[in-house]
Amino acid sequence: MISSVYIHIPFCSNICNYCNFAKFYYNKNMVNSYLNALDKEIKLRYKGDVIKTLYIGGGTPSSLEVDELERLFQILKIFKKDKTIEFTIEVNPENLTLEKIKLFKKYEVTRISMGVESTNKKFLDYLGRHHDFNKVRTSINLLKREGFTNINVDLIYALKEETLDDLKRDILNLVSLDVPHISTYSLMIEEGTILGIKHEQNIDEDKDYLMYDLIRKTLKKYGYKHYEISNFAKEGYESKHNLVYWNNDYYYGFGLGAASFIPSKRITNTYNYNNYIKGDYVKEIEELTKKDILSYALILGFRKIEGINKKEFFAKYKVELDSLYNIKELIKDKKLIDNGMNIFVSYDKIYIENSILINFVGE
Amino acid sequence: MKQENIRNFSIIAHIDHGKSTLADRILEITNAVSKREAKEQMLDNMDIERERGITIKLNTVRLNYNYKGEDYTLNLIDTPGHVDFSYEVSRSLAASDGAILVVDATQGVEAQTIANMYLALDNNLTIIPVINKIDLPSADIKKTKQELIDTFGFDDSEIILTSAKTGEGIKELVEALIEKIPSPKGEKEEPLKALIFDSLYDSYRGVLVLARIFDGTLKVGDKIEFMQTGSEYEVTELFVYNPNFLKVESLSSGEVGYVVAAIKTLSDVRVGDTITLAKNPCKEALPGYKPMQQVVFTGLYPTETNKYNDLREALEKLKLNDASLTFEPETSEALGFGFRCGFLGLLHMDVVEERLEREFNLNLIATSPSVIYEVLKTDGEILKIDSPQKLPDITKIKTISEPYILTNVFTPSEYIGPLMELCQNKRGIYKSLEYLTPERAILHYELPLSEIVYDFFDKLKSISKGYASFDYELIGYKPSNLVKMDILVNGNLVDALSTIVHKDFAYNRGKVVVNNLKSIIPRQMFVVPIQAAIGSKIIARADIKAMRKDVLAKCYGGDVSRKKKLLEKQKEGKKRMKKIGNVEIPQEAFLTVLSNEEIND
Repeated sequence: MISSVYIHIPFCSNICNYCNFAKFYYNKNMVNSYLNALDKEIKLRYKGDVIKTLYIGGGTPSSLEVDELERLFQILKIFKKDKTIEFTIEVNPENLTLEKIKLFKKYEVTRISMGVESTNKKFLDYLGRHHDFNKVRTSINLLKREGFTNINVDLIYALKEETLDDLKRDILNLVSLDVPHISTYSLMIEEGTILGIKHEQNIDEDKDYLMYDLIRKTLKKYGYKHYEISNFAKEGYESKHNLVYWNNDYYYGFGLGAASFIPSKRITNTYNYNNYIKGDYVKEIEELTKKDILSYALILGFRKIEGINKKEFFAKYKVELDSLYNIKELIKDKKLIDNGMNIFVSYDKIYIENSILINFVGE
Repeated sequence: MKQENIRNFSIIAHIDHGKSTLADRILEITNAVSKREAKEQMLDNMDIERERGITIKLNTVRLNYNYKGEDYTLNLIDTPGHVDFSYEVSRSLAASDGAILVVDATQGVEAQTIANMYLALDNNLTIIPVINKIDLPSADIKKTKQELIDTFGFDDSEIILTSAKTGEGIKELVEALIEKIPSPKGEKEEPLKALIFDSLYDSYRGVLVLARIFDGTLKVGDKIEFMQTGSEYEVTELFVYNPNFLKVESLSSGEVGYVVAAIKTLSDVRVGDTITLAKNPCKEALPGYKPMQQVVFTGLYPTETNKYNDLREALEKLKLNDASLTFEPETSEALGFGFRCGFLGLLHMDVVEERLEREFNLNLIATSPSVIYEVLKTDGEILKIDSPQKLPDITKIKTISEPYILTNVFTPSEYIGPLMELCQNKRGIYKSLEYLTPERAILHYELPLSEIVYDFFDKLKSISKGYASFDYELIGYKPSNLVKMDILVNGNLVDALSTIVHKDFAYNRGKVVVNNLKSIIPRQMFVVPIQAAIGSKIIARADIKAMRKDVLAKCYGGDVSRKKKLLEKQKEGKKRMKKIGNVEIPQEAFLTVLSNEEIND
């Protein structure tokens, strides 16, 4: 029933200027006690379900030393893995080594997600990243040589002073890596990040939209299917794990600040390292009513470009999709499109879809 | 208490000259409050009063003081200083026999010093002049004394020097008011004659009436009659305030106290009415008060249309406590059902809006303030218009006249030039300039009232670095070249955004207003044109671009709950906006038509 697992590794060798996830500078002693606590949490909460997607995210999981990674993979052996499992680990180019790649292979990791963010030195500096595009290229080649073909690269755009030409070069550089999955994010300046503290401003929305439009048009030309607001993949390479989130399916989240969705509850773990080590895992439990579950199903499902399948929706929730909220009216206004099978957000409204999604929350 | 040992007095001053702090010291010296209980501005009960450091409502407190072996009762009536609240001042003065006139040693005589002084003289009060804030390094006692002597003819020897901060001079002041202010006249044995000079609403007791007894005695159990409204009630409780509510059995001539009589019908109680005994009425009522002239009008609408009745109830309760407020139902296509409310001035309007929001928990939209215009129609009919929406069709108007005021601007002489320029820009007509002393002058201009409704006061203060003060009197109507300027949002006329403007200023104001609306109204899913129009002629236009980005770029397992909360917050924000046609307009938009200056975004 719960067939997905997220594991959070909150350590980084370097803190990026834009990041607001739970993370710490890498520290050997902390890693050791953290892995012990993680082991305990998993043993306490995992009920033996067969797992179809497993995702190790962070922080920077690849910032761990080889022996620590080995320890982590040992801990994860507890999960009963489905034969077709998608097993992803996030890596950064600067601390990815051949030894670590070999270890991923040994423990049957199937998918690698690499934080590239930009291919331009000037913008990598702005974001506080310490690699360059050559390092990315050699890392990708190394991964491919060791047999990893299912690879995602991340890109951040809408950076201060970035031009459409800068962005175009970034996209083409990523395309040249010949990887089957690309995620692109418009930079969000969040409170408590270095950029936030420096009062950096988001770029204006007209330019931001032009950048988004450039990305989706260019990637389409190179054979990537746009399948979620910020995600593009070659046919068959969509992230199964992330689709679990957008399909409103259940998942476990283990580790600091991780979130779980289990029957009738969404649980968020503590962000406090000391509490977590003590075994005080939970920060917040949101008890879900039927209405809440439907609300999540809509705000997540409409993130997918193909939208929500009406039949599957009815099978799962025993209610007709277009009977909910003002969906019929939104279809009439051409904000949502009903093609008979699916209901989805109109192409020209994707980048302003909050104005549609707010219909499905609150009173 | 012997009537000879009662003293009813007020404190009057220009705003910020330290009245309320002086009252605090008097409370302390009479042991009404211990030092431990003392907080600043003891008599200012409303949050708004403490926050803004001003007094809005008059407040009354009974104090005891032993002087030369005799016990005295002192009824102190604190008053506001701002021009808008002079009605409150006149009410407290009618209930007093004397007044302390406070002048700030660092500022000297100012506009409201004079205005309040004349009100006090009209009421035949004995005045005790006080120079306050003598502890400040910038105090100029000699100059201030000279101003008091020159302006009002006081004698040097009767001026008392105080520091409400250090307490210096407070004892002399209290003893001077016992010595100089006469005890109340009036006969205990005569039929009851009491003046209602304030009232407030208590959800348990109903209306609390604050009254000064002129003749006779009022006891718990007495059957009373309000002479104007003719309504009768039985007194259930009597209180004095010291400054806690203290129950008493009776109040007699000269005394001031609260009357409780289970009054639930708010309209039965009118400030200025006379209370007498039903069985043994007095022959004639007290003169009461001149009804106040409301000069500024605005539409108040609940943000949520279903709160209309709550707003009506709140206005009724507030009126009880603030007799100078008027309101009548009004409808706007854009905003639904609301009320056209009349105020004594801009600060008064501000305070009422804030009290409605705070004390009654209402969210309000206020439309831009207007004055009363006199419209002479082509058919000879004369209309009084308090709202741009009521203006007849342009073809039926012969002339529009607007109210003019005569200003008394008190200013240090170095700011005369820039202040004259300000008045000139506000369509002012120069009248005269008087020097009080070589350093201080009074500037007289005739100005259209509508021009000071906008930002005159703020400008005056900023030009003079806070040193100039002003008050005004209405001098009547003059015809002006006025037109109604409408605002169209996405082609729809938004009635609540219409204003009446001078034709020569219309083009500029139109430009400012559409640009301000453009920066305040958030982008919608489509392009929204904003136009300013006079009749069918468009005089200014600005377009709000269509929204291009409104999306949560990232949403994975870890932040699903947070993202939902963000959407909920966004939805809440939208709810507070008014939907006009298919455009969502935030509340601030309805006030931007006020501003003469462009908002920088």
